[in-house]
Amino acid sequence: MSVMTIVQAINNALDIKLEEDKNIVVYGEDCGLEGGVFRVTEGLQKKYGIERVFDSPLAESAIVGTGLGMALSGLRPIVELQFDGFTFPAFNQIISNVSRMHNRSRGKYKVPMVIRFPYGGGINALEHHSESPEALYAHIPGIKVVIPSTPHDAKGLLISAIESDDPVIFMEPKRIYRAIKQEVSEEKYSIPIGKAKVLTEGTDVTVVAFGAMIRECQKAITMAQDAGISVELIDLRTIYPLDKETIAESIKKTGRLVIVAEAPESFGVGGELMAIANEEAFLYLEAPPKRVMGFDTIAPMAKGEHFHLITPDRIFYEIERTVKF
Amino acid sequence: MKYIFNFPDIGEGLEEGTILEWYVAKGQTVKAGQPLVNMETDKVVTDIPSPKTGIIVEIYGNVGDTVHVGKPLVEIETEEALATQNTSVVTEQSKPKPITEGASVMGTMEIADSKAFLPSSEEGAEKQDSKEMKITKALATPLARAMAKEFKIDINKVTGTGPSGRVTKDDIQRFDSVRNNGAVPIKTETTESDFSTDLTTYEPLTQIRKTIARNMLNSKQSAAHMTLFEEVEISELISIRAKFKTQFAEKNVNLTYLPFIVKAIVLALKQHKQLNAQMDLENDRMIHKNRYNICIAVDTPEGLVVPVIKDADKLSIFQIAQKITELSEKARNRKLTLDDLKDGTFTITNFGSIGGIYATPVLNFPQAGIIGIGRIVKKPVVKNDQIVIGNVLPLSLSVDHRIVDGGDVSRFINRIRHYLSDPVLMMME
Amino acid sequence: MIFNDFNPLEDKIFRIIDNDGEVINNEWMPTITDETVIKAYKSMLFARTADEMSVSYQRQGRMFTYPPCVGHEAIHIAAGLIIREDDWLVPAFRELGVMLAKGVRMKEIFMYYMGFEQGSNFQEANHVLPICIPIGSQYLHATGIGYSVKYQKKDEVVFPFIGDGGTSEGDFSEALNFAGVWKVPVIFTIQNNQYAISVPVQDQTKSVNLAVKSIAAGLPGVKVDGNDFFAMYAAYQEAAEYARAGNGAVLIEALTYRKGAHTTSDDPTKYRTKVEELEWAKTDPLLRLKKYMDRKGIWNENETELIEQYKQEIDAEFTEAENYTPYQLEDVFKYMYVEMPDVLKKQKADYEQFQNWKESRK
Repeated sequence: MSVMTIVQAINNALDIKLEEDKNIVVYGEDCGLEGGVFRVTEGLQKKYGIERVFDSPLAESAIVGTGLGMALSGLRPIVELQFDGFTFPAFNQIISNVSRMHNRSRGKYKVPMVIRFPYGGGINALEHHSESPEALYAHIPGIKVVIPSTPHDAKGLLISAIESDDPVIFMEPKRIYRAIKQEVSEEKYSIPIGKAKVLTEGTDVTVVAFGAMIRECQKAITMAQDAGISVELIDLRTIYPLDKETIAESIKKTGRLVIVAEAPESFGVGGELMAIANEEAFLYLEAPPKRVMGFDTIAPMAKGEHFHLITPDRIFYEIERTVKF
Repeated sequence: MKYIFNFPDIGEGLEEGTILEWYVAKGQTVKAGQPLVNMETDKVVTDIPSPKTGIIVEIYGNVGDTVHVGKPLVEIETEEALATQNTSVVTEQSKPKPITEGASVMGTMEIADSKAFLPSSEEGAEKQDSKEMKITKALATPLARAMAKEFKIDINKVTGTGPSGRVTKDDIQRFDSVRNNGAVPIKTETTESDFSTDLTTYEPLTQIRKTIARNMLNSKQSAAHMTLFEEVEISELISIRAKFKTQFAEKNVNLTYLPFIVKAIVLALKQHKQLNAQMDLENDRMIHKNRYNICIAVDTPEGLVVPVIKDADKLSIFQIAQKITELSEKARNRKLTLDDLKDGTFTITNFGSIGGIYATPVLNFPQAGIIGIGRIVKKPVVKNDQIVIGNVLPLSLSVDHRIVDGGDVSRFINRIRHYLSDPVLMMME
Repeated sequence: MIFNDFNPLEDKIFRIIDNDGEVINNEWMPTITDETVIKAYKSMLFARTADEMSVSYQRQGRMFTYPPCVGHEAIHIAAGLIIREDDWLVPAFRELGVMLAKGVRMKEIFMYYMGFEQGSNFQEANHVLPICIPIGSQYLHATGIGYSVKYQKKDEVVFPFIGDGGTSEGDFSEALNFAGVWKVPVIFTIQNNQYAISVPVQDQTKSVNLAVKSIAAGLPGVKVDGNDFFAMYAAYQEAAEYARAGNGAVLIEALTYRKGAHTTSDDPTKYRTKVEELEWAKTDPLLRLKKYMDRKGIWNENETELIEQYKQEIDAEFTEAENYTPYQLEDVFKYMYVEMPDVLKKQKADYEQFQNWKESRK
């Protein structure tokens, strides 16, 4: 066991898999020598050599496109895109090819690749560094989208993602990259993709969130407890495919649903979960499901970010309103 | 103005730094931007510039000391007036927090302090057993839930007759009447489609039938039914009725024996309150009704309905007769309202007008008693030790034996006989 | 023509003064007055001072992450002298000197890096696009503007900038290619400062240099010593004439060195050596121009005093920025669309209700 941050846990996962499987390569901008702008791949080039862990030229489309080529021909690439807001040059490769190769070749070609990038706001950054594009990616058939919220989960989920023969988008909540420490086993272990986790059990309302929002929800839950509200908190962990069963069971138990996510409200994960509530638990609903999400605006820059960031009191406000419905 | 400059979060992953060299001394004038001190941090050695122009009043820390972020470095006497603190104080909302060691190339990152420690997780590759969960809450559409709320009904207490045991709007309406008097609002659903074979014919159950079935069973399973039979010789009553029948008819009121029976029962109930009560096991109490709302079972083509004569104790025979006429009309024309059907406290079922002498009536749960009136039988009776032809009205009184003891049942029925055998007594006492 | 005589395929570099400020290529010396040279130097000095102060403000915790421009001054000021009021500046994010030349105020720069988008609404600078962070994407915008001004028969030239890292992006090649096909008045500048964060240009491309990439698009290209003010000035001068005459686009690779870190949150010691930094320091643009001026004896102002004066001016701009009207809730929504749609109005109203609730709890 060792105390790790999310950054260290991911580094550890990469280390374990690079050791185990010689066909794994890791690359992206500044990933090799510098070890990544967030130091996630620190030390790996030194340990595994420049052919396996390296810097690429500055071109996201090329990073993903070449990664696809590698995945089709015997390697298991783990590519890094530097920031959420810069993944979009690669969007074409993802939606047009990465997600389709397996289907296009009727199973003859698999795409065992992982595309990693830090996402999310709350770091006073400039434009394009605070995006939460999970819905954009989750809406593409043929790929999986995974988002951990703790060091332990980050390691286990990444190992699953790497070992999966499907292409996986692995989004890392940069706001809490180093804000949480946890004792994590140094051994290899994996956490299944597609399984949500009930973090706290409760009876009055189900709160569903993921990534950096989990921590904010936990603070809100403390506020709720003081107000006598019993909250059940679910960490989605995988956005696509969603763990409908866990979510539905919880809603059936509590009859109320609050979804918390950073991305713009319209056409996002919130709407999807509300659909599930209707489809799977309609007769159990005692209040309309509520999404607590970002505005349909570009994330404001630092001086305006506090309006936009979802804070524990805003989450509590909506929890209380839902329970009092 | 004195300004204390704290070791700032400069976004290079600092929690603390070590003083390597002071560039300024106490009493020295400094300009904004001028390097004050050289600090060593985890990764870099960096100068910290002064945010203000002024004179160094105090220096905190010697070469070699460790300073934590947020702790004072120097105190500067500036020329500014007091109110402009904002130039150096970063507002809470946009305060850059320390980033980790090394770089992030963009933004200010938060690093964990000792409170940001999560417990370790056991979850790994082992299979997670999904827990079998028993749901004991009612299934209902949002519409039904809204209705339940309006009626102040706990929807989880309502038995659902919809698909998958769903609580429907009808269920709620029925529950509402049942909980007070077991009334069944008239349903006009007639979905009759017969599927016949040679040997059997299938008829789908109507809502009314299903509700009646449910209520009957529920009543039988919830109360401890006991029935006491008695006879009353009502020749007196018959002559009184004959006397007033025409009069009442002129006022469009049909005078039957029922109003007298209602009156007798109400008077008896007033003296035997357990018969007008309800047992509330959940809350460990008996609920005594202070109103005397008598339910009259009415037979209609659609089925049995049980409208209520509210506050029958306050009504005269005429008024009761009037009410009965009115309610029967409404019942046959399917114009009974929910209000006509609720809040009953005791029931009369007059099957005798159709046929039958004695019966074991099923309680209109959760009422404590129901009296069945059989058909009047002309038969020999003993009067003054003589055998004469008497008019015998059979009574079948079912009670909930949980609420009413045997002695009380007898006393109650005696009282009814008392009034019905000599109706004038109802006026006198 | 510079573009003809310094063939990038031969890896020729266009240079006029050496590291000691000595004129080594007199035939290419541009027509420029001493006054202009002095003005250029002072502009470079101002830009460098502003840049250093920006880094300092960040260190003081009064401003957020900032990308230093130190070392790029010759490129910026040379472009700044050639770019006209109606010409277009399409920056990436390391073009402080050009932006200042176009009339952008330091206050606006500071506002931006403090976290006010309003800082990009340049009040006095005409035809300057906001900083563009998605690498390379701005090059396409420049090509489009080029088409537009040509179509509208305007006498305007477009000046986009990109870094060496940006030349690996697809948008870079696409922009050049389109510019070639459409024959637009665009002067593409690559600031090759040797690094894309930690990646040295040798790992960015195996091309002999970056200027040759113009050939693939059918455009003239030249590699210039970016720390040589005169070479940059001459190159821009010729390029502007070429473009204004309707001949189409050109590509200038300006060779320089990123003296500072990628941003104030970057640590260059991780990927480059002090030795290398010291080597490149010898080519510093201010140093060389100063030496040239000293050699010719044309400047006698007190530099130290001048820097002090600049610092005060810049600090005043900073104070103005710090005292800018606080961000309002409305500002988050106001500029998404020209007219706010109902869905946004509702989201704003819902948030206001939340704010009321928060207030009532205090």
